[in-house]
Amino acid sequence: MDPAEVEFLAEKEEISVVPNFTQDKIYLIGGDVGPFNAGLPVKVPLWMAINLKQGQKCRIIPPDWMDTERLQDKKQEETDSKFFTEMPSPHFMEITQLLLKCATDDIPHADEIRTLVKDIWDLRIAKLRSSIDTFLKSDATHAKLNYLTLMELNTARPFLTKALDQMHLLRSNLSGRIQSTQE
Amino acid sequence: MREPIFPVYNWITVRTGNTQKCKQNKWRELVKNIIMSEIIEYGEENEEEIELTAAEVLQQLEQAWLNEKFSPDLLECKVELVECMIDQITEMEENIKRAKKGDFKISIHRMEIDRIRYVLSSYLRCRLQKIEKYTTYILEQDKQRKEEEPCKLSQEEFTFAKEYAETLEEHLRNVALRHMPPNLQTLDPKQTAVKPNLEKYVFMKVIEDTDGVLVEEETLDTGEEIVDLQKGDQHIMRYKPIASLVSSGAVTLI
Repeated sequence: MDPAEVEFLAEKEEISVVPNFTQDKIYLIGGDVGPFNAGLPVKVPLWMAINLKQGQKCRIIPPDWMDTERLQDKKQEETDSKFFTEMPSPHFMEITQLLLKCATDDIPHADEIRTLVKDIWDLRIAKLRSSIDTFLKSDATHAKLNYLTLMELNTARPFLTKALDQMHLLRSNLSGRIQSTQE
Repeated sequence: MREPIFPVYNWITVRTGNTQKCKQNKWRELVKNIIMSEIIEYGEENEEEIELTAAEVLQQLEQAWLNEKFSPDLLECKVELVECMIDQITEMEENIKRAKKGDFKISIHRMEIDRIRYVLSSYLRCRLQKIEKYTTYILEQDKQRKEEEPCKLSQEEFTFAKEYAETLEEHLRNVALRHMPPNLQTLDPKQTAVKPNLEKYVFMKVIEDTDGVLVEEETLDTGEEIVDLQKGDQHIMRYKPIASLVSSGAVTLI
């Protein structure tokens, strides 16, 4: 899958914004949004929030996990744990990217957050690499991947699935041959 | 309170029990046309009315899109979802035309329509790609399908598959086969058909608890391997053992 498509999926997540206009409910196909009252926070899908922000019609309230202290703790937890820890949002990477791109002024300590999220990402990707290595060497045929986010899976997908397909092919050829010689 | 611009889109109108039912009937008519009366019994069983809000339909369509994207095999076509969503989009576009120019809502509605249209076309295109690649295999499977099983292809896809297969064969004949020595001029679709690799590894997420999924059959050097799938878990494994779970909706591909 294209990373842009993972981002597309992340854009469905809800986020709070403070609009600077007043507007009745909007009846979208995917559900109602609003009503919008100037100065009062309201939950909207991320794609809409970004569109409003670009038109300077709102201020985005960053999700509560997008906070230096919370992320610092998360990073520590991720470092300490041997396994993957649960992320505050299944799309943490995409949401951070999108918000830092178009709403930097709404996020306090944007630079620190960028670094922290990148650190967490790097930690997790390194962990993912080493667990893939163990998995491939173990001859196992299936693995549990709890708490991995879609973006992380997608990073590993092209290489990992192809490699496993090939290994399966080789293995089945091999066992097929043993069986036929024994017969 | 002021009347909203798009009053059609409140919950009650979209909760289209009747429309949904008539769509199912329409769909059945279509299927019947292709495979004659074989399907009638299946249709009868499927009489139950499904009530969904537009948002739920959209949700299911997105799920179907992702499953189709990641599954190596062609899945059952969600004709009802696709038609329902196309109707929604068309109706919404009518509404936009009626709304007064420069309204701020219009751009939001447009954006949403664009997003839905992307999912729709990506879904249909993904299916067409599979049909083009595995034409013979898919048609063969369809022939062997039992009466009570639903058809995997929509009417349009079926026509496309048939015509594509015919055109391709004719092309191969004209370009190469007729120049071959007479003993090599036959084309055996069974030998040339491209088959999807059902042993492909996929990522999946469990929606409903399912116990005792046989991942690996017993072979000479390894014992059989069985896993219990718990709701919310994510796994990577071969497609074949979970193929039926994907169609039933107990797991979804990610």
